[in-house]
Amino acid sequence: MVEKKAGEALRMEGVAASEGVAVGPVFVHDAGELEPDRTSISEEEVEDEIKRFEEAVQAVVPKLSETAEKMREQGNEDEAAIFDAHTELAQDPELADGVAERVKNLESPESAILAVGEEYAQMFANMEDEYMAARADDVRDVARQIAAEVMGESASGLEFLDEPSVVLAHSLAPSDTARVPKGMALGFVTAEGSKTSHVSIMARSMAIPAVVGVGSTLEEAFEAETVAINGGEGYAIADPDEDTISDIEKREKELEEERKELEEYKHVEARTSDGRRIEVSANLGSAAEAEDALEWGAEGVGLFRTEFLFMERDELPTEDEQYEVYREVAEAFGEKPVIFRTLDVGGDKDLPGVEQPVEENPFLGWRGIRMCLEIPELFKPQLKALLRSAAHGNVKIMFPMIVNAEEVRQAKELIEECRGELEDAGTEFGAVDVGVMVETPAAAICASDLAKEVAFFSVGTNDLVQYTLAADRGNERLRHLQGADHPAVLDLIGKTCEAAEEAGIWVGVCGEAAADPGLVPRLIELGVKELSMSAPSIPKAKKVVSET
Amino acid sequence: MQEREVTIVPEEGLHARPAAEFVKEAKSYDSDIKVIKDDKEANAKSSLNLMSLGAKQGDKLTIRAEGEDEEAAADALAELITQAEPEA
Repeated sequence: MVEKKAGEALRMEGVAASEGVAVGPVFVHDAGELEPDRTSISEEEVEDEIKRFEEAVQAVVPKLSETAEKMREQGNEDEAAIFDAHTELAQDPELADGVAERVKNLESPESAILAVGEEYAQMFANMEDEYMAARADDVRDVARQIAAEVMGESASGLEFLDEPSVVLAHSLAPSDTARVPKGMALGFVTAEGSKTSHVSIMARSMAIPAVVGVGSTLEEAFEAETVAINGGEGYAIADPDEDTISDIEKREKELEEERKELEEYKHVEARTSDGRRIEVSANLGSAAEAEDALEWGAEGVGLFRTEFLFMERDELPTEDEQYEVYREVAEAFGEKPVIFRTLDVGGDKDLPGVEQPVEENPFLGWRGIRMCLEIPELFKPQLKALLRSAAHGNVKIMFPMIVNAEEVRQAKELIEECRGELEDAGTEFGAVDVGVMVETPAAAICASDLAKEVAFFSVGTNDLVQYTLAADRGNERLRHLQGADHPAVLDLIGKTCEAAEEAGIWVGVCGEAAADPGLVPRLIELGVKELSMSAPSIPKAKKVVSET
Repeated sequence: MQEREVTIVPEEGLHARPAAEFVKEAKSYDSDIKVIKDDKEANAKSSLNLMSLGAKQGDKLTIRAEGEDEEAAADALAELITQAEPEA
């Protein structure tokens, strides 16, 4: 690899994960190891170094409490509580004593805080209590921030981003992107990832450009001052020259005009040129996105991912807590349909209070409906919360990872049970349509069996492609095998539509393909009646539909 | 010195969030306050220390306060840890 010289432009090629262009300062989010600058100090430095540590704590604490405050203002109570706890940890007297003792033994404060943090982290990690084990990362996180402060490095936490920047990172987890203050990320460039990885999905729903999977070239850009990104064409340029910047700015104007042109499509009912009605809906991951989606012109919610409610917390959400969220979304959409997908997680994500075996292939493992059917105490509160929210809107329930009709029947029996229990308790609930995701080849092939049990199908193209082509959706080397235009995938979608037509039920598509202008006409020809996508793609999709 | 024997009521025991609340309350008193579980003793003003007790719902603890405001401190902390819903 050719070393990048300071100030020289460097081109990074990757996956065009989210449209848009931007130029801005670089913000590196490096979750790698933090190395202490010095390991030891001299006898006469002890006092000063202890003071330095104390000053670092003084600097970190207000940042953490401000973040907690900000999260609270945004209505993000769970995140706020995490940062409250971090604030407390940063000023912990035992932490300070531990560091002071090590510094007195001539260890540098940055090395001491990392070591003391790690001691506690190890202790928590070994407690065999999964809640406590998760606290290990909290302690490490806080210790790293103090160490970075001691060394005069700015903590790389995304929550501290205070200037609109292009974020560079090896990879970004959902919690990372969620921490970015609104308007502060101009774009994302990551070394790993594909079009369907979380950062890509998030970037599209935030309507900011993203180029992912650029590989190790990314590291050379860490020292750059500015980065230009073209998310639609899948490249980013570190330290761009004048010409590149003016190209990007020109493109920015064009995109702005295109957006204006699409404005008129936002709030029309999508119909094909020969008058067939196609519903264009939004995929949502939290209640907070509902208003935005309506503004983009969503005619409903084709996929509400409920996982976000269950992630990164100490305990499972209660039925009431879930009900509040589901009701909020149902009410926001009024008569428009909102399809909630029941919990779809597996061994790749931790679920509080659920013993999950370590699996070699979590995507082929104990996940989704397979897990839910075995743990009624996990599944029933969700079903009840959904039934209750149905009293406030047009709620539909959809089951993920279905491979046979028996699973659907069992899930429907549980819904029946929940109805009975709600009725006995005198709790208000509403009627729901039940549908299934068609995301396994088995579901598509057995679609006529499944159609007898449900009111609708929704084809999850991302997983259907992954399972049909045996190509991991996160594997960047298999990008050429991640398209829904493969004849096998289109054939399965066609079979699903035929079975649905025969049974008199409807089919939607809620994967990436639903927003692909090249694929939308094909999907409509096959018989798809609803397309659901990240909200910013809606106006363009409506335009494509109207030209079909 | 004031001592209170308590049984933890909150479902989460003394995990991060309840520990942070407990510490906040403890810090509002001048007294030196210890929380004792079995043979382990923790500084009530350190959430790290408290969490390292690994105290769960139903565990028995002793709260020991020593200082000017020991009685008020022991009472307040004993009440906090025996409330069903920790105050947010």
